[in-house]
Amino acid sequence: MTLGELGAYVSSHLAKRGIQVVLSGGACVSLYSANLYRSDDLDFIESGSAARKMLKQALGEIGFQESRRYFQHPGTRFFLEFPSGPLAVGREPVKETAEKRYSTGLLRLLSPTDCVKDRLAAYFHWHDLQSLEQAVLVCARNPVDLKEVRRWAGNEGMASEYAGISRRLAPKKASPGRPKPAGRMTLINKKTLI
Amino acid sequence: MLESLFGSKSRERVLVFLYCRGEGYAREIARFYKTDLDPVQKQLGRLEYGGVVASRKAGRTLLYQLNPRYVFSLELKALLKRSLEFLDQTERGLLAPVRTRPRRKGKPL
Repeated sequence: MTLGELGAYVSSHLAKRGIQVVLSGGACVSLYSANLYRSDDLDFIESGSAARKMLKQALGEIGFQESRRYFQHPGTRFFLEFPSGPLAVGREPVKETAEKRYSTGLLRLLSPTDCVKDRLAAYFHWHDLQSLEQAVLVCARNPVDLKEVRRWAGNEGMASEYAGISRRLAPKKASPGRPKPAGRMTLINKKTLI
Repeated sequence: MLESLFGSKSRERVLVFLYCRGEGYAREIARFYKTDLDPVQKQLGRLEYGGVVASRKAGRTLLYQLNPRYVFSLELKALLKRSLEFLDQTERGLLAPVRTRPRRKGKPL
């Protein structure tokens, strides 16, 4: 199973047990960058208040066993983590999530715009350059509302930091001699469209 | 002071220490409060799991700080700041940040 397929499988199984989860973190970058950034770690944020015991039981039904704070399965290298919520990017709650459908089920995940905010939060607060590169990757391949990202950065008290990197996130202009794309959407791999 | 809210004295101490000092490691916090290492380590682990604090390695030491990405980070800091007003002057003084700027090796000071 690919990361997306596994995420959808786990997410759908948990939904059947009344546990709603949203994929967050590096796995979203992996999905939005067609694996240019690879993550083996699926961070799910639970949007309700299911007890850990319930989660453990539901995951046990599909063969995942808890080891320390992670859930692992002998048949996959991917592992699951359930950081405590709420679902937020920086200090703001996530209002809308995206969905991707796979043969294994439905996966709810951060939208490309919130995924970029999530990566930038790591860059702003930890000075983690890898997170900035991930945000750039997501912007290059997905429709991202950069005005919204700028507003959010301002609210986080990071307006000047954002100004310093905003050009890296902006869509690249077509190089001369090549056919001019009709817009940013032409950059998008249709398979990754939500 | 905030023990009933945070659920444990150790947790309150850990948070107050990290708020005042900016960062710290488990043994340092335990020594400061003249308490056992185990409850401090336990609370740091729980707080990290909850995203309230974050850690990084510095050599062999695990340094903790309040997680700036924690969604209630500003509110938590405001609460901790307010609680400091009720500490006695001596303890507040002891909790004051220590020198973090570099000091050249061998400097006679």
